[in-house]
Amino acid sequence: MTTNHIQARDGAAVRLTGLHKRFGQVHAVRGVDLLIAPGEVVAFLGPNGAGKSTTIDMLLGLTRPDSGTVALFGSAPVPAVQAGRVGAMLQAGALLPDVTVRELITMFAGLHRHPMPVSRAMELAGITDIAGQKTQKLSGGQAQRVRFALALIPDPDLLVLDEPTAAMDVEVRRAFWASMREFTATGRTVLFATHYLEEADQFADRVVVLSAGVVVADGTGAQIKASVAGRTISAVIEDAADEELDRLPGVLGVTLQASRTLLHCNDSDLALRALLDRFPQAHDIEIAAGNLEDAFLELVATSRQEATK
Amino acid sequence: MTTALSPTRSTGTVGMTIRYALMSTRLAFRNLRFLVLTVALPLLLFLLYANLYRGQDTAGGLSVVAYLMVSMASFGCIGAAINTGARIAVERQVGWNRQLRLTALPGPSYLTAKAIVSMLVTLPALLLVFLAGATVGDVQLSAGQWLGTGVAVWLGLIPFAVLGLVIGFAGTVDTVQPISMITYLGLSILGGLWFPVEAFPTFLQGVAKVTPSYWLADLGRSVLAGDGAPVNSVLVLAAWTLVLGAIGVWAYRRSGAKV
Repeated sequence: MTTNHIQARDGAAVRLTGLHKRFGQVHAVRGVDLLIAPGEVVAFLGPNGAGKSTTIDMLLGLTRPDSGTVALFGSAPVPAVQAGRVGAMLQAGALLPDVTVRELITMFAGLHRHPMPVSRAMELAGITDIAGQKTQKLSGGQAQRVRFALALIPDPDLLVLDEPTAAMDVEVRRAFWASMREFTATGRTVLFATHYLEEADQFADRVVVLSAGVVVADGTGAQIKASVAGRTISAVIEDAADEELDRLPGVLGVTLQASRTLLHCNDSDLALRALLDRFPQAHDIEIAAGNLEDAFLELVATSRQEATK
Repeated sequence: MTTALSPTRSTGTVGMTIRYALMSTRLAFRNLRFLVLTVALPLLLFLLYANLYRGQDTAGGLSVVAYLMVSMASFGCIGAAINTGARIAVERQVGWNRQLRLTALPGPSYLTAKAIVSMLVTLPALLLVFLAGATVGDVQLSAGQWLGTGVAVWLGLIPFAVLGLVIGFAGTVDTVQPISMITYLGLSILGGLWFPVEAFPTFLQGVAKVTPSYWLADLGRSVLAGDGAPVNSVLVLAAWTLVLGAIGVWAYRRSGAKV
C-alpha cells in the first residue's frame, strides 16, 4: 500500500515503530508502524475493536506498549505532552462534574506551561455561549466541544482526536470540522480516529485503515478506493471482444450491463487512454469512483481472513 | 496565594501543584453533603458532650471537655481527609484523570496536590470544634497551647490524607463510599474518639493502640496538656504514613496501567 513518507524521516510529528499491546488473551495491537509528517491531517479509520483507541493511548503515553516505540517530535510521549506539544480529545467521559465549563477550562489551562488563552480556546471550540453551564448539564455534542477546547488549551503542534464527532448531530459535526480547519490552517498536525468513512475521506489528507490491530491500508482516500474497488469505466463499445478489453492496461475485469460494457480498473486513467486509442468508436463514457465504504469493508474482511489463517 | 490562581503566572511545577491544589480545594468546599458530614456532625456531638460533662476532669487531670474537643476535632478532620481522597475514585471513573495526564502536571505533583487538598479541607472541622471549645466549652488555654494543639492535630492528619488517596485509587465508584465510611467510622470508634479507650475490653484496647486515630488524639491531648509531642505518637503516625504512602504509589501506578 502506498505511504506518504513526505519529508518525514527525522522531523516526524509522530513515529510509531512496531507497537504491540495485549490485554490478557486479546492481542489488541499487533505491530503498528506509522509515520506522520508535521502538518499532515491523518484519519485513523477502523471498525470498533480495531485497536484505534489502544494505539492512541500508547501514542499519548497513557498506556505502555508491550513492545515497540513511540516518538512525538523526536521525544517520548510523556515529555512531549508535558511540554504542551500535544493536545488530545479522549473518547467518552473526561469531564469533571460540579464545575462550570469556564472553570473547568481555566483549571485545565492552569496545568500547562504556555496555555492558549481560555477565551480563545472557547471561541475556537464554539462554546462561549455555554461557558457558565455546569458540565454535567451538557448535551453529548456540547460535552464533545468542551473536550475539543481542552485539547486546544496547550496550543499544541499535534492534535489527537479519538472519535471526536461521536454524539454530535450533523449540524454540530459540520461546525466542528469548520473550526478544526481554522486550527489546522496554521500548519498543525492532526490525527483523528473515526469510523465514519465520509469524515475520513473529507477531512483527512491521508487515511490509515486499521483492522484487527494492524494497518491494512495507508494513503489518500482516493488511493484507498482505487486500490480495492478501483474505478469503473462504463461505455457503449460496439464490436469489441471482451478478451481484448480485458487485456487493456489498467483493467482488472470486464462485465456487461445491457448495452454497456463495464471495465473495472485499478488505473482508470491508463485504461481510458488505451480504450480510446484502440476503440475510438466507444461512446457515452462514464467513470465512477469506487465506493470507499465498499473499499473499507473489503480491506477489513481481507485482513480478518488473513488474521485467522 | 491569590496570584497563584491566575494561570498565566508562575508556570513552574511547584506553582502548578499549588494552583491545582487550591482550585481542587475550592471545588471540594462546594460539596454541601461533605461539609455537613465532616463539620456539623462532630460539632454537634461536641456541643452535646460539652454540656453533659462541663466542669468534670479526666483521670489524667485534663478537663473532659478539652479531652472531647481533641477527640471530636480529630473525628471531623479524619472524615474530611478520607472522604476527599476517596473522591478521586469518581474522577478516575469519569476519565478526568486520563485528561489530567495530558497536562504538564507530573504524577508525583498530582498526588502531592491531592494530599494538600485533603489537608486543607480538614481545617473547617478543626477550627470550628476548637472555636466551640474555647467559647461554649470554656476550654482555657494560652495562645501558644491553642496554636500548638491545632498544629499537632493538623500535622497528625497526614497519614489520613494519604489513606484517603489509597482508597481513592484502590476503590471504584461503587465501592469507595462504603469503604471510606467503614474506615472513617471504624478508625474513629476503635481509636477511642467516641468512647475512651480505657472503657474498651482489654483485647480491643490492644487493637486501639495500632490505629493511627488513637495516636492522633494522643498527640493532640499531650500537646494541649503542655507535655509536648510524645515520641510514640509521632513514630506510629510516621510509620502509618510511610506504609500507606507505599501502598498509595503502588495503587496509583496500577490505576494508570489499567486505564
